[in-house]
Amino acid sequence: MSAANQLAALIANMFATGLLDDQFQQLQMLQDPSAPNFVSEVVTLFCHDGERIIGELAKLLDKPTVDFDRVDAFVHQLKGSSASVGALKVKNTCIQFREFCQQKSKDGCLKTLETVRINFYELRGKFQTMLQLERQVNGFPPNN
Amino acid sequence: MASRNQGSAPRALVVEDIKIDCVILMHMLHKLNCEATAVENGKEAVDLFIEGKTFDIIFLHKDMPIMSGPEAVVKIRAMGATAVKIVGVSADFGGREAFMQAGADVFVPKPVKPETL
Repeated sequence: MSAANQLAALIANMFATGLLDDQFQQLQMLQDPSAPNFVSEVVTLFCHDGERIIGELAKLLDKPTVDFDRVDAFVHQLKGSSASVGALKVKNTCIQFREFCQQKSKDGCLKTLETVRINFYELRGKFQTMLQLERQVNGFPPNN
Repeated sequence: MASRNQGSAPRALVVEDIKIDCVILMHMLHKLNCEATAVENGKEAVDLFIEGKTFDIIFLHKDMPIMSGPEAVVKIRAMGATAVKIVGVSADFGGREAFMQAGADVFVPKPVKPETL
């Protein structure tokens, strides 16, 4: 299968499995010859930011006394950036996460953090594959 | 988006602490041929007005460190900047009320869609 076909199949699968929503299509429509790397820049930024936020959440929830306001602030950020890139599953998990923050439930937060981590890394892996395939489609060798 | 300066690009200020949202909104504004500037919180936005900078339109996120969007709107309006169009942007349900009470002209829910601009 050509890289272009693999890329199309991958993105279709990400929509079909609920990883992405139509906001990602909005980002794709914003890409044009004047900004040919717009989607990859946004996706890369999301992946770096998401990893940073998950790290911060893990540290905050590891403390004996949890500052739920700070946890909520980070989850709010991740929810916002997820919504902006169309990361539907991550966004929805963040919504649940905020509810546990408001309930000040450490157990609930820890369980949901694990779900966020799984959903985020699943998405990040597919985004990385997507970016590699895009490079091939554009005639560049894959990054190693 | 109408320009207040006939024949010149609209001057937009984006006040947004979430980098991804800032990048996306700036890109949308550049596609609309706006001259866009970005800052990371309400205080930086207010400081630009104190320095005498002017804008045709400002987009402010609600919850930001140091100074929130609604707080910045109150201060900007109090400085006499009544002509600038202020757009509050938030994913929070309470965002509309907070921004409109502060003196914003419009509220737009996040994520911002290109057709909304």
